Amino acid sequence: MVTDLTNQAAAPPAAIQIANLSFAYHAKPALRDITLDLPTHQITALIGTSGSGKSTLLRCCNRINERIAGAHITAGSIHIHGIDINRPDIDLQELRRRVGMVFQKYNPFPKSIFENVVFSLRLSGVRKRSELDEAAERALHAAALWGEVKDRLDTSALGLSGGQQQRLCIARAIASQPDILLMDEPCAALDPIATLKIEELLHQLKQQFTIIIATHNMAQATRCADHTAFLYLGKLIEFAPTIQLFNTPHHPQTLAYVTGSFG
Amino acid sequence: MPQTDQVPHRFSKHGFSLEKAIRFFFASNAGLTIVILLLIIAFLLKEGLGFFPGYRRELQVYRIAGLEFVDLSRSNLSAHEQLASVLNRAYFAEINGLCTRELKRSQEAAALFNAFSDRSSATRELLVSNLGAGAEAHPDLLATLRKNHAASIHQALAALPATPHLTSAERADLLQSIATRDVTATDDPPLVASLAQQYAAAQQQQSVPLARLRETIDAFEAAGADLSVLVSDMTATVTATKEAIQNADILNKGRASLLAAAGHAKDPATRERLLTDARRSLAANPDIDAPMQALMLHKPVCCAAHTALRQACATILEQLPPTLSQPEAQRLLRAARSATGPFLANLANTPQRISEWRHDQPVPLSAAIGSFLTGKDWVTGGEWQDFYGILPLLVGSLMISLVALCLAIPAGVGAAIYINQFASLMEQAIVKPVIEFIQAVPSVVLGFIGILVFGSVLRDISQLDALAWVPGFPIEERLNIFTAGCLLALMSIPTIFSLAEDALNNVPAAYAEASDALGASRLQTSFRVIIPAAFSGILAAVLLGLGRVIGETMVVLLVAGNRIKIPDFSSGIGAFLQPSHTLTGIIAQELGEVPLGSVHYQALFVVGILLFAIVLGINATAHQFISRPRN
Repeated sequence: MVTDLTNQAAAPPAAIQIANLSFAYHAKPALRDITLDLPTHQITALIGTSGSGKSTLLRCCNRINERIAGAHITAGSIHIHGIDINRPDIDLQELRRRVGMVFQKYNPFPKSIFENVVFSLRLSGVRKRSELDEAAERALHAAALWGEVKDRLDTSALGLSGGQQQRLCIARAIASQPDILLMDEPCAALDPIATLKIEELLHQLKQQFTIIIATHNMAQATRCADHTAFLYLGKLIEFAPTIQLFNTPHHPQTLAYVTGSFG
Repeated sequence: MPQTDQVPHRFSKHGFSLEKAIRFFFASNAGLTIVILLLIIAFLLKEGLGFFPGYRRELQVYRIAGLEFVDLSRSNLSAHEQLASVLNRAYFAEINGLCTRELKRSQEAAALFNAFSDRSSATRELLVSNLGAGAEAHPDLLATLRKNHAASIHQALAALPATPHLTSAERADLLQSIATRDVTATDDPPLVASLAQQYAAAQQQQSVPLARLRETIDAFEAAGADLSVLVSDMTATVTATKEAIQNADILNKGRASLLAAAGHAKDPATRERLLTDARRSLAANPDIDAPMQALMLHKPVCCAAHTALRQACATILEQLPPTLSQPEAQRLLRAARSATGPFLANLANTPQRISEWRHDQPVPLSAAIGSFLTGKDWVTGGEWQDFYGILPLLVGSLMISLVALCLAIPAGVGAAIYINQFASLMEQAIVKPVIEFIQAVPSVVLGFIGILVFGSVLRDISQLDALAWVPGFPIEERLNIFTAGCLLALMSIPTIFSLAEDALNNVPAAYAEASDALGASRLQTSFRVIIPAAFSGILAAVLLGLGRVIGETMVVLLVAGNRIKIPDFSSGIGAFLQPSHTLTGIIAQELGEVPLGSVHYQALFVVGILLFAIVLGINATAHQFISRPRN
């Protein structure tokens, strides 16, 4: 069983290496032959129209796609820190602890703020109160939420505003100190102010995590991402540093999309 | 801009459009159900609220006639009798415990013979009656009858109860003797008779060292004789007074209705006639003072009898042996000993209560309400005095519900969790309809299954020697709280299962997804996220199940044993194996037989109101949990 997914010394600089990946829901292909190396401690944005496969690609990285019956990889591989995550002997729970995820619609559990943050620690059997307190404070600080909730950690998480709930979900995802953070359109359900806060937060989180963010908001990609990948109908059209992709795209389809001629 | 002159719709006629008619039709349907519910409540209240004044009058008569005074002594007398019966049971439990082997052997042989007799008696009686006819009987007929009897003997011998305490030689001998028995013989087979003798001899022998205990118990029983005579003396007087008062009450009531009718009568002749009738029916005020004075003369005698009884009992009870060898006897002895203290204390303070008692103390309405809510006796149709105390019924209902919930919550909620969280699609497709199918079984069918199968099987199991350590075993009554609770559990499992499953289903899928993404295993997701999120819904499911259990009538009426008595908690958890009556059962059982409008009739309506309030309260609480916003 492979349980050690920490960054090995010998590992290549890319945190996630996706090689010739094809993916299908039952017989319906969703991703076709995608090859992509996502650099460590940088933000990579996945952009594209609805149904372009950006969410599917994101969800392949922690294998959360497997919750859907009939979803499977048809070809290719994903390596995280050099380890193939689709090996049959991989510890799936450990993988998901190393690769955190934030969803489009904020979804804190109907528990207290504190219990939401320490959920993953409780899963791995941490009982010591001091350890939990410390982890909760660290995660909430990292998610820029500590100042707003430190006096009401024991109140229900559902009493927070939408933006706060989404930041709480980020805190919950990073409490187990993963290396990689997957964000599936994290601001789609938020107002502009809350969106701004999350974007600021992304820049701080970059120091510690490799972040992949799927977004349909091109302005957000230009504001946050170091690299951007453009997907169309399940294919990777272009992958380049963000400035380059938006200013001098190589591919005509990319140009059409970033200039708003289609999509 | 307000439209002042609206053009009427072209379908409208005299301000009544099709749209309005449809609206009115559906509104009236909804309104009708509400009106019916209100009518039910109004009817319950109208019939029920007359109860408390009526019951108050009954309690007043109880006091004025002196029945209450006699009951002061009588309650002590019955406590004395109960204590004596417990001591006697302890004595016989000790003896029977010491000769268990003989008892079992004798019982088994007798049971075997009885089973045989039951099965062969039909053909045997036919044969014997024809033999008695002598020469008149046709020889062919006799031959056929003999043949039939032989066949039935053969059949009966094939299926006889087991006799674990008899040796195989004894059993063979017994079978041989009953198979070759003369058809006209009426005496027991030799082995049955000899085992019965052996048992009697063993009893005799074991009772020798217990002679002192026997003497003590006899002395204790004898001590109550004086008080008993006194009580039966007074009883005769007070019942006569009570009857006189009741007759006067009836006459007064008739007279009041005659006067009322006269007041309404328009025709002067009719009015005159009614008034004459009323005047004629003027009741002679019953003489209550003279018998009361006679009764009061008993006061000093009563006090003296109590003091004497107390002294006698205190000395006698001290002579009881400290322990008995058999566990059951020891338990009964301990029960007797713990009952002794309150018994003696009651005896001690009775003289004071007797001398303080006064017949002209008023009975407030609150006393009637208190007696209803906290009374330990539900006695109706008796010659002495009716009491409507709801406690035994309430306790019965609650204990049965407790048993039902203890069984139904794990089964129903557990099944719901399994089916919702872990079962394969195939298992879901099988289990869900099957559980919901239980709901389709009519409760009366469940009831007789409960009596015939479950009650009997449970009692047979409880008689196994190996299970004698279970509290309350062996079960005396086949129909008891536990059997009723088991069946009600079966009835409420579908309710709890379906609603709990719905609650689990309603947990947003995003919770499970988030939990999975945080690295939770299947089990962790279920128990740390889904089930806590569905908790209020599951609680509501349990409450609605409880509402169903408390309101259920048929099963408890058939299976609970219907004994109106608060179970004896001295046997601990064994109290759940005693028969009981319930709030629902008493209404179903007695409402058909009570005189319309009597206090008893009204009392049943008040029980109905109480039941209605309990179930309403439970359902309202459940809906609180259901409607609690999740987001």
